[in-house]
Amino acid sequence: MRGPDIQWYVILSAILFSVGALGVMLRRSPLIILLSVEIMLNAANLLLIAFSRLHGREDGQIFAISVMAVAASEVVVGLGMIVAMGRRHVDLDVDKLRTLRG
Amino acid sequence: MINKPHVDWFALSPSLGLIGVSFVLLLVAVLVPKNARKPVAAFLAFAGFVGSCALSVLLYDRSAQAVTAVHDAIFRDRWSALAQVLLAGSGAVAVLISYREKMREEHIAEYYALLTAAGAGMAFFVQASNLMTLFLGLEWFSIALYVLTAIDIDLIGSLEAGLKYLIVGAVGSATLLFGSALVYGTTGQLSFDKIAAAGHGHDVMLVAGLAMVIAGLAFKASAAPFHMWTPDAYQGAPTPVTAFMSSATKIAALVVTYRVLTTAFPHDQRLWSGAIAGIAIASLAWGNIGALVQRNVKRLLAYSSVSHAGFMLIGIAAANALGARALMYYLIPYAAMSLGAFAVVAARERELGVPVTLHNLAGFGWERPVLGISMWVFVLGMLGFPLTGGFFGKFYVFAAAYRHGWWWLIVAGVIATMISAYYYLGIVRAMYFRESAELQLAPAGGAPNRELLLSAGVLICLVVTVGSFFAVQPLIDVARHAANALPL
Repeated sequence: MRGPDIQWYVILSAILFSVGALGVMLRRSPLIILLSVEIMLNAANLLLIAFSRLHGREDGQIFAISVMAVAASEVVVGLGMIVAMGRRHVDLDVDKLRTLRG
Repeated sequence: MINKPHVDWFALSPSLGLIGVSFVLLLVAVLVPKNARKPVAAFLAFAGFVGSCALSVLLYDRSAQAVTAVHDAIFRDRWSALAQVLLAGSGAVAVLISYREKMREEHIAEYYALLTAAGAGMAFFVQASNLMTLFLGLEWFSIALYVLTAIDIDLIGSLEAGLKYLIVGAVGSATLLFGSALVYGTTGQLSFDKIAAAGHGHDVMLVAGLAMVIAGLAFKASAAPFHMWTPDAYQGAPTPVTAFMSSATKIAALVVTYRVLTTAFPHDQRLWSGAIAGIAIASLAWGNIGALVQRNVKRLLAYSSVSHAGFMLIGIAAANALGARALMYYLIPYAAMSLGAFAVVAARERELGVPVTLHNLAGFGWERPVLGISMWVFVLGMLGFPLTGGFFGKFYVFAAAYRHGWWWLIVAGVIATMISAYYYLGIVRAMYFRESAELQLAPAGGAPNRELLLSAGVLICLVVTVGSFFAVQPLIDVARHAANALPL
């Protein structure tokens, strides 16, 4: 059982990446935005793993695993900032974060 | 039995040394008593950066032959070694600027730990020789910088800047990663040399991957139109962090951009050359026009750094040996000027206790003659005035564009320089040419103590800025040796 052809993986991960990118641009809550960034990173992961299977090499899978670790640490930092903002009673809406602008 | 690759520890030493110091600093945060923590931490961080700088100089000396080390994961050559010298130097000056910054005393060691970790990440990033080390290095220093930007947690602006930087930076990283995955898919290779050797010139997927890799790196280099985080992050971050970000991130991102493009994508040179030229012109336009309307000096300098990214990208777009040399040379005075300018801003900020604007800079030149004159030199250097390295930087970049036959890039650069005269000279005007009624003197109780360490940092930057004008020939030679490592 070989599973679907490679182009389906490419199309699926392209769709996932676009969903993530749209989420970052359209949503207002920083939490959902972080989630959307995760979707973008995982779209790339899916692509890496699919290609690694296509070429019969392992390095793509190793790459994907290290990306997961990196993505997790990025989320930790992001969530830390969001918690700190919540404690300071900052509105958690990126459209209202406009102390810095111009 | 697992075959272990041969690890060239010496090639990794600038980066490993710094991350080692970072670990020690985390121990300092818990083991050293509170009152001694600040000097101990700052000294260790400074020593770490100086040590890493020395190791990079040694590495430069002993890497005349460009090779890949550690199973094709990193490059050992002069291009990355010279970049590491600049990065570690910027870090050392950033420590000098940071020392008297008002920060929560109990987290001071963590601050320096993050600073050295970011430096280590950049030193690793510039050596990257495959897509995996490229991404890991990028994230290594980026995550440290996100935290550093938001470290002044009591300041709403700092948190906001950190979050914005994190979100935009993460999108940039994801774009780079997706592009890397596409390149990997087309060629089946991760390391730059083998990607080039696989030679899928104009495959659609490879070109899409290349475009996304360029976009991802442009996010980090804060080149327009991927610069939207820059003004906010630069303004909101503590000023010493801004100083470090503006010089070191730009060095790392631009040096790596050139490396990736020339080693991995030589067959698509016409394509990326045009794309980079477009980004360069966008940065020049956006950076300069954005800077014209700014009142906040940190924000103004942020836009100016976008426009400098544009100038340096001209060197990359030229895609010849002269361009590589010009980029490497330009980075030397640029790093010094931007570190120095932000250091002066930091000094003024600590005097007044409020964000520095063009308005409250009034009279600063008379009040603090040394810092005032230094700031004068830095902005003239950014403008590209003779007697500063900024002049030869722009000159060589234009020469590279000329050799490539793209005179319109030179025209764009010259127009951008003329526009930038307005806001650079505006800073000088704010410092010196104001009515006495407008002067903003330090608050009652006398000016705060003069800061020896910060002044020392500013003097180092001053010496490099002016020195790179007079020592242009030796520096260009060094840059040429570095550029020889690239397949141009």
